[in-house]
Amino acid sequence: MAETKTTVTASGKKRTQVDDVDRSMYDFRYDDADAEKLDAGLTPDIVREISERKDEPAWMLEHRLKSLEIFNSIDMSDWGPSIDGLDMDNIVTYVKPNTDQKSDWESVPDNIKDTFDRLGIPQAERSYLAGVGAQYDSELVYHSMQESAAKMGIVYSGIEEALHGEYADLIKEKFMTLIPPTDHKFAALHGAVWSGGSFVYVPKGVKLDYPLQSYFRLNAKGAGQFEHTLIIVEDDADLHFIEGCSAPKYNVANLHAGAVELFVGKRAHLRYSTIENWSKNMYNLNTKRCRCDEEGEIEWISGSFGSHVGYLYPMSILAGRKARASFTGITFAGRGQNLDTGCKVVLAAKDTSASIETKGISKDGGIQTFRSSVVATPAAEGSRCSVSCQSLMLDDRSRSDTIPAMDIRCKNVDIGHEATIGRIGDDKVFYLMSRGISEEEARTMIVNGFAEPISKELPLEYAVEMNNLIKLEMEGAIG
Amino acid sequence: METTHVTIERASAMPAATWHFLNMNDTQIEMPEGLSIAPAVQVSEPWAARGAADEFENALADAQVEWEKSHPAPTAEELAEREAYVAAEVDATYGGTAQSAYQIAADAIEESRSLAVAFEHGTGDEAAAYLRYAAGDRIVVAVKEGQSVDAQVVVSAVPGAVSAAAVDVIADANSAVNLSLVVDAPTAPGQSGASAGITGTTVRVFADEGARVEIDRTQAVDGDFTDIDDMGLFTAENAQVAVRQTVLGAAASFTGLAGDLRGDSSRIDVDTRYLGHSDQKRDFNYSLRHHGAKTKCNLQANGVLAGTSSKTLRGTIDLIRGCKGAEGSENETVLLVDEGVHNKTVPVILCNEDDVAGNHGATIGHIREEQLFYLASRGLSQQAAESMFASAIVEQAAIDATTDAARESVVRYGERLNPGFADLFEE
Repeated sequence: MAETKTTVTASGKKRTQVDDVDRSMYDFRYDDADAEKLDAGLTPDIVREISERKDEPAWMLEHRLKSLEIFNSIDMSDWGPSIDGLDMDNIVTYVKPNTDQKSDWESVPDNIKDTFDRLGIPQAERSYLAGVGAQYDSELVYHSMQESAAKMGIVYSGIEEALHGEYADLIKEKFMTLIPPTDHKFAALHGAVWSGGSFVYVPKGVKLDYPLQSYFRLNAKGAGQFEHTLIIVEDDADLHFIEGCSAPKYNVANLHAGAVELFVGKRAHLRYSTIENWSKNMYNLNTKRCRCDEEGEIEWISGSFGSHVGYLYPMSILAGRKARASFTGITFAGRGQNLDTGCKVVLAAKDTSASIETKGISKDGGIQTFRSSVVATPAAEGSRCSVSCQSLMLDDRSRSDTIPAMDIRCKNVDIGHEATIGRIGDDKVFYLMSRGISEEEARTMIVNGFAEPISKELPLEYAVEMNNLIKLEMEGAIG
Repeated sequence: METTHVTIERASAMPAATWHFLNMNDTQIEMPEGLSIAPAVQVSEPWAARGAADEFENALADAQVEWEKSHPAPTAEELAEREAYVAAEVDATYGGTAQSAYQIAADAIEESRSLAVAFEHGTGDEAAAYLRYAAGDRIVVAVKEGQSVDAQVVVSAVPGAVSAAAVDVIADANSAVNLSLVVDAPTAPGQSGASAGITGTTVRVFADEGARVEIDRTQAVDGDFTDIDDMGLFTAENAQVAVRQTVLGAAASFTGLAGDLRGDSSRIDVDTRYLGHSDQKRDFNYSLRHHGAKTKCNLQANGVLAGTSSKTLRGTIDLIRGCKGAEGSENETVLLVDEGVHNKTVPVILCNEDDVAGNHGATIGHIREEQLFYLASRGLSQQAAESMFASAIVEQAAIDATTDAARESVVRYGERLNPGFADLFEE
């Protein structure tokens, strides 16, 4: 557990010191000698080989090769954290673990089974999940769903498996339409080398009471993980999906450039909870997007903890009348981390609404940026959006920036934004101390209270691993 | 002498850029060719306050010496310790600290330890240089310690010409300056807009210890003019600068203000009011950098957008390491009156000092239902209410005008916009 202590600054003010989080539970790793790896780097031959191994339809190979061309033709963005430390020539884009996908946990090879056991995934499945998918490096190694969910007509499988089944046409219709490869450089990279990930289909009117969870573990040194998650929640249906990620730390860069595409039908509801807890040598360049039809609702719960560099801005496109979105996020940046996170919202129909609430904590030289965009198109009459962003600086070696943009193109809208930044106020500490609370405890309570509106939304009760993670990280932040 | 065509590509750039698809990071200013340079500037200030051409540079150089005395350069040991701290857990093999371009640029400015390097123009160096070229000799208002001066500069728009003024204000310790800038268009109705022209002012302010500087800029040019309002401010210890900018006219206006709150307990307040109507374009860029301890800035922007007008506002408060106890505040309210308006806002806080308070807020929308209901109960239709909110901006500008020239300019503009407006202000 993280330790806290209080020091006095040159100006006489007191500051809570928070030790770094003990990440040892995530830092274990196994030799990947048994795994099949393609050569490092990115060439048309590598892309063809990935496609061939997966026995993909021709359109997908074409899509991959076109994406590779786009990747080579566009520049990296010039406004975010530097990715100079990421040399694509050294990244292995495809690592196949020494097993095929299993639906029986006991059949999974021992080293992989041990990995997920240590992260608590099987316990979570037994306790409160309707289905679990586990990806190890580039491939799914385990996928299962409770029989009751299957009987409701819900499909939860590997996306590659689904590409060969009855939903192949649906996948072809939706795949990378919300996140086209032209969107940015790493969307193009994803389009070229994507591997693994989940496909979820919830039929009309079906409401699943228990969540589905996909867990992504990147074990191989110097590798990239490019899973694709495609979820379709049909009209009047309801789903809670949980995504977790982690990796052991290496002394070379690893890359995660996944993509998540979510389609929420009329009056449907989707809650998408994520904890991104990559190791601190990871470049996390992940892209997530959701389209909501009439009266559909997307709820994003997002925790960004690990990674060396992070670019993460889940986007909600409210395309149908009265569609709704909420984004609740927390980002914690410690030493050696530059995490650029936030969200995007497009109000593209009448009477849509969005609510964004984020918290950022930076400490020990960590850099945390909240970046957002709210765009109200001319079709967004009667729409409203509120953005609230709070940042807490735990020392003066760190950095915390807030860059929220609003682009409003119609008259009858109500857009509000507020942001605050600062440290723990001495007056608040004094007040609590006057109530008989020790100073250290008072400071802990204040930071705890700062994070509480977000942490209470995190799916602590759903996955043991996430429970441990939040406990570690938040206790690290709050003493 | 006639101008050549100039395009300033990255004018009024905000320090920390964001997504390019939003098209908000900076703006482009077109300076057409074939304009004459018109010396249509009237200056009214006591001749005793006229300073030498290099007065501003000298004041900044003196301030540099004083600042270095109180802010010694870090020792080799301190630098080594800082480097070791960063290196301790940041493995260079996977990318060092991964700072973004603007974070690196910001560090470079601080490491230069140069007040001249840190001094910025709100619209950028290129736009300021263009205006300086068009303005010819600088108007230098230098006020000696403890004295007080009122000065007024009126720039008259001339069709087919660039009319600009470059003004330096050097306020010595505990002095006071009230500077009124009026950018006017004294053309008769029907004559305006016949041909494009450019108006502009570029102002540098050096406010020494305890000085008080107030600047009121009113712009009410009409027609196809482009107006550029550029300011760069420097505040020493306990100095205060208050700026009010009223933007009513011009087909395109570019307002840029940058401030270096260098001295402890210094303060900058900015109060911006604007109106956009027909297809006017409004662009604002603010960059307020807190260096000194207990410095304060407060940026208030209030505007109404009607017709198919568009507006972009970039507001950056930068709380730089060492500005302990600083407070930065920014608030914007935009009233959207018509369907075709386009409003962009990006209120930024950059912060690498923990002992600070920064906050910003923005409210963008239409007249609230309860307000409309109230006005309807008084017999005002929605259209009349919208028109009333728009003309209120002009009316308030006339009421708050600090000089006769400013008031006359606003009333003349109001009359053109809304015949009968001038009757409200007849003696």
